[in-house]
Amino acid sequence: MPPSICAVCKTNRALILRPKDHSKLCKPCFINVFEAEIHHTIISTNLFQRGERIAIGASGGKDSTVLASVLKTLNERYDYGLDLILLSIDEGIKGYRDDSLETVKRNAQQYDMSLTILGYAELYGWTMDQVVEQVGKKGNCTYCGVFRRQALDRGASRLGVKHVVTGHNADDVAETVLMNLLRGDLPRLSRTTSIVTSTPSLTPSSGPVADNTNIKRSKPLKYAYEKEIVLYAYHKRLDYFSTECIYSPEAFRGSARALIKNLERVRPSAILDVVRSGEDMARLVPGSDEGCGGACGSGAAVPAEEEEGGCGSAVGKSMASVESQLAANERAAEHNLETEILSKPAKPTPPPSATSTKGQKKPRAERTGGPKKKGPTKQVMGQCKKCGYLSSQEVCKACVLLEGLNKNRPKNKIEVGYEVQDVSLNSVRDELEAATLAAEG
Amino acid sequence: MPGKTTDGAAGGICRRCKENVSVLVVRLEPLCQECFARYVHTKAIKRLETFRVDFHTNEERKVLLPLSFGVSSTTLLHILDLHLKTQMSKTGRTGFALSMVAIRNAEQSPHTEDLLEEVRNQYPGHEYASLPLHDVFRVIPDDAALRDLIPEYTKGEPPKDQEQLARLINSLTSATARADVLSTLRARLIVEHAKSTGCQSILWGDSTTTLAEKTLAETCKGRGFSLPWQVADGKSPFGVYFHYPLRDVLKKELVSYIGFAESGLSSLVHEPFSGATQASTSSKNTTIDDLMKQYFESVEENFPSIVSNVVRTSSKLEVPAGAESDPRCGLCDMPVPGGRFGIHGWGGYQQDGIETAAVVGKNVCYGCTRSLPPSATTTTRI
Ligand SMILES: [Zn+2]
Ligand SMILES: [Zn+2]
Ligand SMILES: [Zn+2]
Ligand SMILES: [Zn+2]
Repeated sequence: MPPSICAVCKTNRALILRPKDHSKLCKPCFINVFEAEIHHTIISTNLFQRGERIAIGASGGKDSTVLASVLKTLNERYDYGLDLILLSIDEGIKGYRDDSLETVKRNAQQYDMSLTILGYAELYGWTMDQVVEQVGKKGNCTYCGVFRRQALDRGASRLGVKHVVTGHNADDVAETVLMNLLRGDLPRLSRTTSIVTSTPSLTPSSGPVADNTNIKRSKPLKYAYEKEIVLYAYHKRLDYFSTECIYSPEAFRGSARALIKNLERVRPSAILDVVRSGEDMARLVPGSDEGCGGACGSGAAVPAEEEEGGCGSAVGKSMASVESQLAANERAAEHNLETEILSKPAKPTPPPSATSTKGQKKPRAERTGGPKKKGPTKQVMGQCKKCGYLSSQEVCKACVLLEGLNKNRPKNKIEVGYEVQDVSLNSVRDELEAATLAAEG
Repeated sequence: MPGKTTDGAAGGICRRCKENVSVLVVRLEPLCQECFARYVHTKAIKRLETFRVDFHTNEERKVLLPLSFGVSSTTLLHILDLHLKTQMSKTGRTGFALSMVAIRNAEQSPHTEDLLEEVRNQYPGHEYASLPLHDVFRVIPDDAALRDLIPEYTKGEPPKDQEQLARLINSLTSATARADVLSTLRARLIVEHAKSTGCQSILWGDSTTTLAEKTLAETCKGRGFSLPWQVADGKSPFGVYFHYPLRDVLKKELVSYIGFAESGLSSLVHEPFSGATQASTSSKNTTIDDLMKQYFESVEENFPSIVSNVVRTSSKLEVPAGAESDPRCGLCDMPVPGGRFGIHGWGGYQQDGIETAAVVGKNVCYGCTRSLPPSATTTTRI
């Protein structure tokens, strides 16, 4: 076979089969195209503001390393005027983060960015190892998921940073769209397809409660394919650490992930197409106030509480347990319908909710929040009264979990580690301590 | 055996009538043959409340049932035929008249006429028609948007309908695209046929399982915007009503139903049964529709309520405000919110070498653009 010529420059020999559309490109053109598309994403969604301080959630993995590298490149090339810093979270699992944190430290030097590493010990008073010791291996996924979702925001809040970017890529978003269809969660589908997830509209808290709500979260790699991220890292010789999450994904995410992989094989554009569908569907969700679904770029504010994550997702339920819950709801609804047909045979069958009269027991589906005839009621988001984090409940999940942990903690073990691994010699330590004291206070 | 016929169920007593021996377990309930049949009928008829006998009018409503000779549409015909006979014997009249249409595709179903004749013999007294797929170009004569998508179509001496279809399909570059465009054209022809024969409603044969497949397949093909019109009962954007009477019955339940019904029904079904669907995953001929079919036929086995929940969920999506006046896609004819045609002009923009300036004029939705070759959706060739 004759060597292929690059489809873009029409000069160089093509060495890369682009995963997104199977076009044949040379290395420089691939790098260009990859960066140009992310620049387009940033510009068309008005993602950043000049002078903004941005914390890059860095794990040392390929996604966040590429994110840091590309943002640095684009910030210089197009003069965004951003102050980029790295923020890493140490879950406190012995041996788990050692190598990846070393990678992040090297990245900080390579990209000349300041780095802050915050441990669960500082953020929550508990390392994951301590949690596992207390609750056993079985229940720790709940903690991991809940703590992980808040960790970056809590960390950013301590650093006084208002905007955190994460390395979520197109595959992650597509997976989340399919997963939420599979588990029937339209509100979450609507929220997580948006490029920005936060509530800047919420009034910042005042007083002793740390301001965790006012953190903007975004994913500039939302349209970048995982495979292209790997290619980019490879060809730019980026220093990253391949790490697999040690917790297996919940059943729905695993199922969605497998589907996405098969889809990509059948039609390369499918991942992007699912993301597009997700954005379009977000506008069709009943009660959705997202006129734009993230497409208009006005920073459609969406709660970050239930941000999708690689593991330990918010609904850590197996397909089997969801199935039995749904089946129970269905049987109850069916039973209710049957008794109604028997009692009023002459009349057409109205929806169950319309006929539940006084004294009559409500169908189980209704009582348990199962399938309802009406569209989902909008969740009212407020702030956790303990930590100020965005929450639909009075006290957020993390604080509830912490309360349980602290109640059962052996008295002699109450030692909260406040030390910050301040790699970059910045002056956040004092700020941090102040914020920490205020939060725990 | 579909429907989970376990040994425990076969010996036990039917949970509903408490008399007969159960023959299968349906959603955890052991049922006898009769109670199972009633279960399927009730699920379908419950969805047809609007088609009860109306004593206030002499005008007869006519509904169209597109027949594919598969499990679902054939069973739906069987149930509706039974239903109409019951209405007739009880009230002396029927709530609606039934009209069937089968679409012939030259390669896929050469013996459509024969199959339709068999069905007509089994269920006489209704209207039957069969149309070749290329008729879509005959029934939409003025639709320049659709004709624009045919390669090398020049004004003047238009090629025959058959030739136009062949050119369009031959221009498509993947199995997914061909399956997608063929089903889109089929749907458009059915809609036009319904309108031209005075049918106010189309009763689609889809089961819960195929609606779930469709939900995910359309999402994966970038047609999430059109889902409110693809899975929900009600007014379609095409001037006819869409109904899915079998939306609460799983595919495997329909297969069981056919297994228990008199042999006349099963002999009319011409569809590769589950198992035959498992096309090779690496094959170039696998389509997105195939993938979703495989996926949900396996999910359906152990998680039937999850399948139902997917359909319940996608049926909740609302038609956007102002959809009536939104511009239509030249291929699928769906209203495209804000006229956001093509694959460019959004956050997920791709530097794919197609000049943005050249992408004008052809009003094709995102999903259809993915199926058509680049040259069909741009006015200038590259
Ligand atoms: Zn090149
Ligand atoms: Zn809290
Ligand atoms: Zn029975
Ligand atoms: Zn279209």
